[in-house]
Amino acid sequence: MVVSGALRSLDPALTRTAIVLQSGDWGVVASNFDFLLVGTAVTILLTVSSLVLGFLAGFPAGAIEVYGTGRLRGLVAGAGVVLRGTPIVVLMMLFYLGLPIPQLGTVPGLEIRVSPFIAATLALGLRSAAYQGQVFRGAIQSIDDGQMEAARAIGLPRRGAVRHVIFPQAVRRALPGFQNEFTIVLKDTSVAIAIGLAELLTRAEYLFVQPERSTAMFELILAVSAIYFVLTFATNRTLDRLQTRYAIPEGDG
Amino acid sequence: MTLLELEDIEKAYENEEVLHGVSLGMEQGDVEVLVGPSGAGKSTLLRCVNRLTEIDAGTIRLAGESIHDLDSNDLRQRVGMVFQDFNLFAHRTARGNVTLGLEEVLGMDHDEAVERAEAHLDQVGLAEQADSYPAELSGGQQQRVGIARALAMDPELMLFDEPTSSLDPELIGDVLAVMNDLAAEGMTMLCVTHEMGFARSAADTLTMLDGGRIVERGPPERLFENPQHERTESFLGQFTDFE
Repeated sequence: MVVSGALRSLDPALTRTAIVLQSGDWGVVASNFDFLLVGTAVTILLTVSSLVLGFLAGFPAGAIEVYGTGRLRGLVAGAGVVLRGTPIVVLMMLFYLGLPIPQLGTVPGLEIRVSPFIAATLALGLRSAAYQGQVFRGAIQSIDDGQMEAARAIGLPRRGAVRHVIFPQAVRRALPGFQNEFTIVLKDTSVAIAIGLAELLTRAEYLFVQPERSTAMFELILAVSAIYFVLTFATNRTLDRLQTRYAIPEGDG
Repeated sequence: MTLLELEDIEKAYENEEVLHGVSLGMEQGDVEVLVGPSGAGKSTLLRCVNRLTEIDAGTIRLAGESIHDLDSNDLRQRVGMVFQDFNLFAHRTARGNVTLGLEEVLGMDHDEAVERAEAHLDQVGLAEQADSYPAELSGGQQQRVGIARALAMDPELMLFDEPTSSLDPELIGDVLAVMNDLAAEGMTMLCVTHEMGFARSAADTLTMLDGGRIVERGPPERLFENPQHERTESFLGQFTDFE
C-alpha cells in the first residue's frame, strides 16, 4: 500500500483511479508523519496545560465544596454546575470568541497561534477543574470521620488535620478518578479543531481536505486514532504504576 | 489535687437529652470506669472532656481551670484520647502515627520525635512494628499504637472510649495489660469499658450511668458487692453472673 501510494503521487492519472477504487493510501500517512507528530506535540502540550490548570483550580474547588462556607462555596459549586453542563466544543468557542484574548502571534516549531491555544487551555482546564473538583470532593468525603477526630484529639487544628491527615489519604483515593479525567482531557483536546488550533486532528484534517490527498482520509483518521490510543495507553500505564507505588501498604488479611 | 471536675453537665442532641446534670471529680492518679447501658451517655461524657463534643451547660475544669477558657487545641494536648475504632492515621506507619502530633503540635524536630515515638511504641510492646502501617497490624496492635500516640503527647489525663469493644476476645488482653500498667504508673484515666475485670482490678471509682444521669458512684467493690440501686445491681449482675 505504501508502494502504491508512492506510485500514485508520481502519476496523476493513477491518483484519479485510486479515488474511484478507494484503495489504501498509507503513503500519505508515511510521508506526512512528521507533520502529524508536530500536531501530536501540540496535543500533549494542550493536555498538560489543561490538566495543570484543572488540578490547580479543581483541587481547591473540591476542598472548598467540602470545607468552605457561604458565598465562596456557592460560587464554586455554581461554576462547577455551569462548566459541567456545557458541551466542551461550545465552551471552547465561547472562550475563543468571547474572551478578550490578545493576538499573541505564533509558537515557532509547533506552528500554532497562541490565542486559540489559550482559549482551548481555559476551556479544557476549567471544565476539567469542575470534574476534578468532584473527584476530589468525593475522595475527601470518603475518608472516615474518625481520622479527623483522631487528628483533632491530639491537638491538631482543623487546618493541620486536613493537611496532614485528610489530604494525603484523599489524594490517593482520588487517583483512579483523576486517571479517568486525564484520558478524557487528552482525547477532548481534539475538539480544538473547532477553533482552528493546529493539534493532531486539525493537522490530519488539513491534510485530507486537500483534493490530492483526499483518498487518504480514512488512513489519516486511522493513524490519528492509533496515536491517541498510544497516548492514552501510555498515560494509563504510568498512572497505574503511580497508584501502585503510592498505595498504602495493607496486610495479608 | 483535683485534676478533673465536672459540674452539672447538660448535653442534648436535637432535643434528645443525652446528659442531664452529671457531676463528678477525679483526683490526680485516679482511675475511673464509666459503665452503663448503650445510650447512657458514657461516650458523650468522655467526648465533652476534650471538647470533641461541646456541652450545653455546666462546667468542666481541668486542674482548676475551666476547659472553655483554654484553647481547645491546648486542652487536647493535655487530654489524650483512645478510640473504640482505633482511628489510626491509615497513611502513616505506627511510628508516623505517633510522630505527627509531636512534630506538628509540639513542634519537635524530626529526630527527637522519632526517638520519643519509638520509646512509646516500646512501652506498649510494639517496638518491632514501628514501620508497619495500620492495615498491616492486628486490632490489638492498632489499639496499642493508638495508646502510644496519645501517651506521647504527655497528657495529664487519658480518656478511653471503649478501647477493647472492637477487638476479638483473644486480643483484648494485650490492650488491658497496657492499661493496667498505665494505671499502676499513676496515670489519671477516665475509661468507658465493659471490661469488669479491669474495673475491679484497676479502677478506684466505678460510675454507673443510665439515661444521662449518674445512678451510683463509688469504689468498684462496693458497687459489685453492695449496690445501693436496683439499676446498678441488675446492670452489673449481667457481668458478675459470668465471672
